[in-house]
Amino acid sequence: MSAGDTTMNCDEYRQLVGADPNFDGGAGHRNECAACQAYRDEMRALDARIRQALLLEVPEFVPPALQGVAIENVVSLPARRRVTTPAWFALAASVALAAFVGLRFAGNAELSANELASEVLAHVTHEPDALRVTDVAVTDQHLGEVVPATIARMDHSAGLITFAETCPINGNDIPHLVIQGSSGPVTILLLPQEKVSGVIELDDGHRHGLILPVGNGSVAIIGTKDEQLEQIQQQVLKSVQWST
Amino acid sequence: MQSSNAGQARRQRFDRIVAVFHPDMYRYAAWLCRDKVIAEEVVQESMLRAWKSLDALREDAAARSWLLTIVRRENARYFERNRLETVDIDNLTAAQSALLATQPDDDLGDMRAAIYALDDDYREPLVLQVLMGYSTNEIAEQMGIQQGAVLTRLHRARAKLREKMQTGKAE
Repeated sequence: MSAGDTTMNCDEYRQLVGADPNFDGGAGHRNECAACQAYRDEMRALDARIRQALLLEVPEFVPPALQGVAIENVVSLPARRRVTTPAWFALAASVALAAFVGLRFAGNAELSANELASEVLAHVTHEPDALRVTDVAVTDQHLGEVVPATIARMDHSAGLITFAETCPINGNDIPHLVIQGSSGPVTILLLPQEKVSGVIELDDGHRHGLILPVGNGSVAIIGTKDEQLEQIQQQVLKSVQWST
Repeated sequence: MQSSNAGQARRQRFDRIVAVFHPDMYRYAAWLCRDKVIAEEVVQESMLRAWKSLDALREDAAARSWLLTIVRRENARYFERNRLETVDIDNLTAAQSALLATQPDDDLGDMRAAIYALDDDYREPLVLQVLMGYSTNEIAEQMGIQQGAVLTRLHRARAKLREKMQTGKAE
């Protein structure tokens, strides 16, 4: 809605101001509606009281006892380390990259492309521990538990997967992997149940990535803003072969 | 020697970050779990986790949201571990009562009780927006929900608080 929007009605305006009393749009409506103007003032006053109430007294800061707390396996990477070619995970291969962008999501769980993209991006930020810069790979055994043969065929001989856990996406438990890219950790979500009809681009301002169609499922790859994902993307497309 | 210096620099970085954001971590935890004692525990656990994974924080500019994300996860872990039940506001523990107690200002106390009584789904986005200054987009990201859902929840949260405070005045 633009600031001069006069097409907004009272309900729409109040929904927006109720969600954010600092909402500055809808000036056209507000200027013509004294009741809505009063509603906005009331919401702003209410917010000031809410803020006061939320400001709980904070107990004295006690630094945590960190002696003996392991920071195991965490090292800083050099600024531009490259990922060696097929080292990280290798599977038999088989899917061609759909070269078109932003097509509609054709999944079986009623999610639109945007919804799937949002859920994927949200999940990455929910797992701050996963995004460690480290040079220690997860064990083959652990990787096998997270990516069982029933989900995908996988060769465990390779590389630098530094995080592997089973996580929920759209109600399905899926393998969440992290590899070390040239600019930091890169998240790989294997989504065997999320069929997409084309590449979905991801960008939340801090990180970027893709959801790639792979067979009857898809794979999400998300890296930091300056991560070059092409090489990783090619590896993924060569590597994933769903068992389902 | 180099390693020792690196360790010291790491510790200094950590101390600086958590000292600055400790109030935000505590208040967020307290409003998530609605219990002062549990909040302190959650914050301590969060600090340990932050220490372990400090190297994942590439820029200090992102430290606040990074720490709050950790607090959110630690709070969820705490409740998973302890399988605590939802508490009726009329049946509070001492620590929970302490969250509401305090001020002589009745209006502030009433508002605090009203916020306390909100469902988690409404209270959390409100705390993130009003106290932490998050945009609705950032709240959506933090909570893993759609921005439209955030807008609806915020609107409803305020409507509930407004109604409650008006009812309170009328009584």
